[in-house]
Amino acid sequence: MTNAPSGDDKVPQAGQTVVPAGGPLPEGLPPDANRRLAELEDRPGHKGMFTSDLSVNEFLLIKEVGFHPLGFVMGSSIYHIGIQTRRWSQSQELSKLTGAMYEARQLAMDRMDAEATELGADGVVGVRLDVNYYEWGSDTAEFIAVGTAVKSEDGRSYRNRQGKPFTSDLSGQDFWVLMQTGHVPLGLVMGTCVYHIAHRGVGQTLRSAGRNVELPNFTQALYEARELAMTRMQDEANELGASGIVGVRLEEKTHMWGDHTIEFLSLGTAVVKSDGDHTIPQPQTIISLDG
Amino acid sequence: MRLRDEVRDAVRAAGPAGGAAAPAASSARDGGRTGVGGTTSDLTIDETLLLHSAGWEPVDLVYGVSWWSIPWGVWQWSTGEVQEATAAFAGAVDQAAKLLRQECEKAGGSGVLGVEIGIRVSSHHVAIELSGTAVRRTQGTRPTFEFISDLSARDFVLLTRAGWWPLGLAAGASFVVAPRRTARQWAAQQGQNTELPNLTEALYLARERAMERMQRSGAAMKAEGIVAVKLREGRASSGVRVMQFVAIGTGVHLRTGEHRSIAPTMVVALDELVRQFDVKSLRSASTQ
Repeated sequence: MTNAPSGDDKVPQAGQTVVPAGGPLPEGLPPDANRRLAELEDRPGHKGMFTSDLSVNEFLLIKEVGFHPLGFVMGSSIYHIGIQTRRWSQSQELSKLTGAMYEARQLAMDRMDAEATELGADGVVGVRLDVNYYEWGSDTAEFIAVGTAVKSEDGRSYRNRQGKPFTSDLSGQDFWVLMQTGHVPLGLVMGTCVYHIAHRGVGQTLRSAGRNVELPNFTQALYEARELAMTRMQDEANELGASGIVGVRLEEKTHMWGDHTIEFLSLGTAVVKSDGDHTIPQPQTIISLDG
Repeated sequence: MRLRDEVRDAVRAAGPAGGAAAPAASSARDGGRTGVGGTTSDLTIDETLLLHSAGWEPVDLVYGVSWWSIPWGVWQWSTGEVQEATAAFAGAVDQAAKLLRQECEKAGGSGVLGVEIGIRVSSHHVAIELSGTAVRRTQGTRPTFEFISDLSARDFVLLTRAGWWPLGLAAGASFVVAPRRTARQWAAQQGQNTELPNLTEALYLARERAMERMQRSGAAMKAEGIVAVKLREGRASSGVRVMQFVAIGTGVHLRTGEHRSIAPTMVVALDELVRQFDVKSLRSASTQ
């Protein structure tokens, strides 16, 4: 893997995220995946079909903007997350863990991309990234990415500048609205940062006891961790030539590391304005009558 | 099926002696069948109204339940996929859907909407419970059976307006025993950040197989697509290392031959809840 962090100072950079599909699983997609995807495609003598986890609303809205769903695609990776020593009184990024959390998600997303590419998709909408923990695996987590591969019906290619199908975590409704405003999605971008927040010393605790004061070390640490995650996400968007990122979410999770170690994950869809003039329709205002 | 009829007969027989409520209830339950009286459905008023606007009406609540046994010991001694459980699941789904269809036809419906799917897998059996509302056209000839779907009445109206029709439930499952790492692998991976290829592959394949079986069941009903697929996954109750993956959706096809635009308009709802700053929340936080 080109983006495997090799040292403490190496954190994933946007440029390193372009990984050829497949990862360490041999010969790309597993044979069962290829067989399933082949069944979805139209061939002489075989009628294909589409599958999609989109709701009926979303399905119809995707059709409305000129896309047809091709298939439900997914990728997953079960990852052993190692340990990294952290100093009790020091706020610091845990770059090994950051790298692991990033790489595991990237592996899952690359496999999802590979499935979509196999189907000849222009993009993947409604992408969900999940992390599962199982009882039988200590220190292991399953990272999974699922979405619906779509293809444009007018034959125009919507692939991004890396030649890959765009990915987007927008719902069908959001996707429709986005297209109405004349933007096209380029890719799901993410940045992550696992950060250890220093414990307070005895002196600090005593000094602030019973007083209203800001706790600068906590503030600083959380601030920095969030900024790092968001900056990495923005770097990825720049790499794609995006003009903006929409639907950004910032998630904070401690996973299995205890109180003072937190993963900050920021996720969003990089978008760019498509060619041609677009007038945004004036929305109609309604008051619904249900309570 | 027979059981339910027996219960109904028993309730009816007990009617005169059992007080006023029982006969009233049973005659109401019977209404959909004989054409007198009301109907029973778990649809909301909105959904009923919407159905009527599309020329459909609810008839009765219908059920289909099927339990299949799993041979003893398969969970403990299997490695990889547990074929017996997969086969039991497929059999139970087919049987439950068949019973649901029979009940629907008996009630005079031509389709079942809003089907809720209950799946229970234990060490010795798989149980599938389907329940939904049988619906029929308000006008027209004798009903012929058309579909079973877990879509809501709202989704059904929207879908048919665009020219698509539901055909039936497409389902697929796979049960897999998560492989163990060898002692050497385990030792080599301690403290490392690394992917676990054998586990990844096992779960990946299990998921793909569940989806593939769903696709095949869709293809068997000549569906052109499967919408609203739900992937349910997690630990099976039959063992710590057993994972179950179930994919279920509604098979659809284009009846009119061409997709019709639903022409959505952009609206801004003015009655969205506004989050307001609540002073009380401050006080309670500070007193804790």
